[in-house]
Amino acid sequence: MPYLIADVELTTPLPSVVVPPTHSGIGFIFRLRGRAIGYLLHAVTPGRTVSPDEVERLATAQCGARIVQEEARAALAAVGPPLVDPSVTIAICTRNHPDLVARCLASLEVAAARVPECRVEVLVVDNAPSDERTRELVEARPGVRYTREPIPGLNFARNRAVREATGTIVAYVDDDVVVDVRWLEGLLEVWRDNPDAGGFTGQVLPLELETDAQVLFERRGGFRRAFERIRWAGDSHPRNPLYPCNGGAFGAGTNMAFRRDLLLELGGWDEALDTGAPLPGGGDLDMFYRVLRAGRPLVYEPLYLAFHEHRREYDKLRHQFYTWGTGFVAFIEKSYRTDPPMRARWRQLMRWWIRSQSGRLWRSLRGRDALPADLVWPELWGGLVGLTGEYRRSRRRVERLRREHR
Amino acid sequence: MIYRAPWRLIDVQLEQPLAPVERIPGAHGVTLTFWWRGTPLGQADVFAIELPLPASQLASIAGAAVSPALAHYVTGQEPIPAVNEWGRREWTVPSTYRALLSGDPFAVLDQRSAPPPPCPSLSVVVCTRDRPDDLESCLRSLAALDPPPLEIIVVDNAPGLPATREVVDRLGIGRYVAEPRPGLSAARNAGLAAARGDLVAFTDDDVTVEPEWAARLAEPFADPVVAVTTGLVLPAALETEAQLLFEHAFGGFGQGYRPLRFGRDFFDRHRGGSAPVWSIGAGASMAVRRSVAVQLGGFDERLGAGAAGCSEDSELWYRVLAAGLECRYEPRAVVRHHHRTTTSALDGQMYQYMRGHVTAVLIQYANHGDRGHLRRVARTLPTWYARSAVRALGSLVRHGRLRHRHRLLPAQVAGALAGVFHYLRVRHRPAGGAIA
Repeated sequence: MPYLIADVELTTPLPSVVVPPTHSGIGFIFRLRGRAIGYLLHAVTPGRTVSPDEVERLATAQCGARIVQEEARAALAAVGPPLVDPSVTIAICTRNHPDLVARCLASLEVAAARVPECRVEVLVVDNAPSDERTRELVEARPGVRYTREPIPGLNFARNRAVREATGTIVAYVDDDVVVDVRWLEGLLEVWRDNPDAGGFTGQVLPLELETDAQVLFERRGGFRRAFERIRWAGDSHPRNPLYPCNGGAFGAGTNMAFRRDLLLELGGWDEALDTGAPLPGGGDLDMFYRVLRAGRPLVYEPLYLAFHEHRREYDKLRHQFYTWGTGFVAFIEKSYRTDPPMRARWRQLMRWWIRSQSGRLWRSLRGRDALPADLVWPELWGGLVGLTGEYRRSRRRVERLRREHR
Repeated sequence: MIYRAPWRLIDVQLEQPLAPVERIPGAHGVTLTFWWRGTPLGQADVFAIELPLPASQLASIAGAAVSPALAHYVTGQEPIPAVNEWGRREWTVPSTYRALLSGDPFAVLDQRSAPPPPCPSLSVVVCTRDRPDDLESCLRSLAALDPPPLEIIVVDNAPGLPATREVVDRLGIGRYVAEPRPGLSAARNAGLAAARGDLVAFTDDDVTVEPEWAARLAEPFADPVVAVTTGLVLPAALETEAQLLFEHAFGGFGQGYRPLRFGRDFFDRHRGGSAPVWSIGAGASMAVRRSVAVQLGGFDERLGAGAAGCSEDSELWYRVLAAGLECRYEPRAVVRHHHRTTTSALDGQMYQYMRGHVTAVLIQYANHGDRGHLRRVARTLPTWYARSAVRALGSLVRHGRLRHRHRLLPAQVAGALAGVFHYLRVRHRPAGGAIA
């Protein structure tokens, strides 16, 4: 059954939350002065009302430590030198979803309005569309640029965005995303505080929890990350022997931004990854890794927040996990071949991944995991399929595509 | 071990504008200790690969590091455990988060803080044994105590050697007292006897004190139920592998940055076990109410350096708790301890620690009859060591070397075994010396 979404500001009197008989829980977003500092999926008997006192108890249990942490950080953080003439190109790579693009554009407009000192360019990259609906939608909006990438594949579209963008930073949002009102503020803040960084990733929370598949995905963790800023630099770290190969730890491709000059310097996105079926994954992991390997810091900032519409149908969700498996292993295969000094670490990562996935599957079979087994084994299966050379096959497919489109 | 020598220590004064942390050539990392106007609030480790660290990230790290202590000072509440959405252990406050919405928690800390009151009836006792250089820097730091104590007493536990007397005479700091009977307990008891103050603070010669140390240790005694106070012991330097092993594999002296109280509930909670009195603090930074210490018979002379090896302090704390009085840990009373620099000295120290600990637990059993002590020596410790040994052997077989946390195991096991024999040897000897 669906969950209600409650966005609660902790400094104002708390509301009571009425759960209709059709819903079986609440997804709380807790904010402190507009900054999200906690998320809680709370199961509730359908039809019950959650009193303000109970909300307060839940918020205290979830966010107590982080409130002090955020208050202390805010008291200590001095505002550094402002960005000189900041300019951001927001790139939405899309294919045949004009309705989603319209929704996304509306939220971007609201976010950009809060930061008038930043030059914002919105670029819609229409990837091998089957009709002109997206073009018509964009042309009806004067402030938005339209461009087309004829070769189907997300990374082809991302590369077109890099070539055509004019901003210093290229911020990618998926078309099924709605950005938070403070999304752009968050990106500019982390950029201003880390002028040496090569890339930034943001927090991703669920837009809706209408179906069981969406609730299950979020219970597994969704795309959620910590509610504090994290900065990564260097190509080894004593605390984590797998770093920086553990690409998924850095963020999600749904909400990420990079310096345009760095993307060009690194040769852009690997078009054999994130191609869309049969390998719609791995592209973001690859870029995070290459940014860190190039010696540029990567910083995650929770204020740079977007809301993602998770897959509504159960079998689509199952397929998504499968593509995570193939994407991840394809990324490992590619990196293993192109980055020889790191090979030992890649082998270690592969062994860890197999152990971790098998462990989850085992726990799930015993009923000890948030997900049922039929949502856990597809990722492992995808990885095993990926091990049979999916990246190599993808390169051949992509070469064929390039020849066809010449 | 992920901590490799040399390692730097930096004090960050949060009331001043934060500066970026620059690269430190040669060091593998740095431990930042965060202070607010003389109150230590927390610490964080930053590895060399993460440097340089922008000031904004330092603020983020500081916020996380100081939050538990800050929450305590701002709300007056003890934190309770909580589990975050990824199943990792965190903490939160027991009542409501509204108590934390003070705006600027440091401003609230300022309002709730006051400089320590003067301590005119506190005597400071340093027991020393032929370590003139260490003693000199210790005495110099004691001379800088502000507010000053009533007196400083130097107990020379090796009066046959001239070095200690020479240092005391040359510096003109402290009153010299000789204690020819060997053993730290005998020396401490001599200090108790010679002290004129109502309160007696003890520190060791390999320690330097912060200016407010004595006054902060004295403060909690305003409550008549308090008989013992202890303070925060920070490392003075982490230059060698042995020092890092002591700090990270053994755990150092770290008691945290929140004030703690140990009373009846702590004692009763561990009925059936052996109350972990060593967690109350360290003898390198402690104070006692003189009348209570004398009434309880002073430090047990079968324990402590030069005798069983250690635990003369914690065994006294046990008697204090058993008598229904309280111990308080006060992190604002800060000293810096010079850990042993060589691994052979560290092994020796681990041996002494465990030998003293086991002897102390058996003495506690003999004095108080609680079966939990016997269980600790006969079952808890052996099981723990057996499991650790199996794990150590496993990593030895797999990687060809011991993991850092097992590195100190052989010395500890040897010490524990020796403790049993030592107890059997000394159990009929008298515990106390004569204290006036």
